[in-house]
Amino acid sequence: MICTGCSCLCDDVEIRDGKILNACYRGYKVYSKLSENRARALVDRREVSVDDAIEKAVEILGQAKNPALYGFDTTTVEAQEVAVKIAEKLNAFIDDNSSFCLGEVVEAILKKDVPSTTLEDVRDQAYVIFYWGANPYSSAPRHMSKFTYYPRGMKRLKGYEDRFLVVVDVRRSETAKLAKKNAIFIKVESDDELVESFNLALEGKAGKYAKEVGTVITELKRSDFNAMFVGLGLKYGVRNLDGFFEMIRKINRVAKLYLIPSAFHSNMRGFNEVLFEKTGSINKFSFKEQRSDKLFAFTELLKRDEIDAVLLLGTDPLSSIPFEISKKIMRIKTVVVDPKMSLTAKIAKVVVPSAFSGFESSGTMVRSDGVRKRLEPIEEKEVNDLWILKKISEGL
Amino acid sequence: MPISPMDIYKLLPKTNCKKCGEMTCMSFAFKLLNKEKKLEDCKPLFEEKKYEKQKEKLIEILKPLEKAKETGLIVNEDLCNGCGNCVVACPVHVERDPHGAMIGKISSDDAILRIENGKVRVLNLEICRRYGKNRILCIVCRENCPTDAISFLEG
Ligand code: SF4
Ligand code: SF4
Ligand code: SF4
Ligand code: SF4
Repeated sequence: MICTGCSCLCDDVEIRDGKILNACYRGYKVYSKLSENRARALVDRREVSVDDAIEKAVEILGQAKNPALYGFDTTTVEAQEVAVKIAEKLNAFIDDNSSFCLGEVVEAILKKDVPSTTLEDVRDQAYVIFYWGANPYSSAPRHMSKFTYYPRGMKRLKGYEDRFLVVVDVRRSETAKLAKKNAIFIKVESDDELVESFNLALEGKAGKYAKEVGTVITELKRSDFNAMFVGLGLKYGVRNLDGFFEMIRKINRVAKLYLIPSAFHSNMRGFNEVLFEKTGSINKFSFKEQRSDKLFAFTELLKRDEIDAVLLLGTDPLSSIPFEISKKIMRIKTVVVDPKMSLTAKIAKVVVPSAFSGFESSGTMVRSDGVRKRLEPIEEKEVNDLWILKKISEGL
Repeated sequence: MPISPMDIYKLLPKTNCKKCGEMTCMSFAFKLLNKEKKLEDCKPLFEEKKYEKQKEKLIEILKPLEKAKETGLIVNEDLCNGCGNCVVACPVHVERDPHGAMIGKISSDDAILRIENGKVRVLNLEICRRYGKNRILCIVCRENCPTDAISFLEG
């Protein structure tokens, strides 16, 4: 079975004698709580049939002047494609969590602004394993043991003993604690200063972190294959990511360094890729204006009261976005498609209960590095995200 | 918390009466840690009332020793999040299951450690390098656990 607990999409999870083997605790929790707090089909909080709920959803979206679609990071590529189609039909806004997650990093990779690679190649070849502002121990627990630092690979027969670990963070995270032998932990006060130190070092000048940067560059030069994984710590730590990408390109003039986003929701990258293929943008897109803009991020739309209806799938804004903003959801017509009776589902106009992609329904997801994985669910529920979205699309 | 011979010694009668077959209480404490002696071998501790409190305490601090079996390896499940670092890094796993642990997966039934229901479980300690006569003090799994969920009695 493929675990959809995070964007690692671990493909070696087994169920044997009622026990889940190999999945980390994060994945296990999703699986073990599958049956808790399931959503029911509701219209105005009254129980209805799934068909009636879908009919009402079609009516709401069809009549809306300025509808939006939001979420989709934990569903399949197939469902994401239908979601984009619906947005197009409705001339709607469409956005996902990536606008405040690692969207820019995925975008830079899709646009080929920075070199990237696959986790299999990292396992087989990478010498320097570089985590910047990322703590996979909490965001993607098996990242290091399955893909990057620990496993042995074709050119790294001794696994982590054949690699060099670099961890950059503002605090001594769990991942930083692993930087022992053949490793360096750089505790930064400001990520920008470290970027600057790299830039200066490459020009032969000394910045604040000259010593640490010197070590890292020396190690990078020892191999023709090194990989960096960036996390939210970087995104919120630097003033602008373009400067960071520029630094990556500069480093690549002296040593090969591939960039891969560390972790996010199971199929956030899938959403970014689907929308990118269709529109050239990865998120916060308006089909009415045919462009992407900061102002079209779901939170911005809410803040400025720009929308009158929204289709939410696989996301729970009431618990994930600051209440100041998310409470505005109560003032618009909300359709929630979700396996769980989330907080947002409780106040929604329409709730359509769905299946958990990966565990209860099949399809394709895109791993953090862009590799596509076919899901191997334990059971196949007929009423799943794809089925529901198709029905809505047909109804419109 | 690893237990030291000193912790044990402090709670023994400290009379060096030799009833346990050891010359001193201190050497008894060492043997206790190595599981070469049982607490019950210290007769005065169990026979004399005045040691009652000390005895209770000793039983309490020696509890993890039982869990640890022969290798002194203790897993604290509460701290473990199933990251699998220990499983993949363990040299015995790599030797025995080159196509599993090598590449970061392991579900073999004859592994030392395996991730079950999101937490590390001890399956077969007898193949651990710390086990038996020719043991070596391997610390690879502990070294690579980011939360110190693995510890060894000997520290
Ligand atoms: S690392 Fe992510 S995908 Fe892998 S088992 Fe854990 S939660 Fe599931
Ligand atoms: S029997 Fe108890 S008191 Fe006597 S020497 Fe042994 S440990 Fe010490
Ligand atoms: S002590 Fe060494 S051999 Fe034993 S489980 Fe840990 S890593 Fe494996
Ligand atoms: S390394 Fe530590 S946290 Fe990770 S699986 Fe092993 S015991 Fe658990």
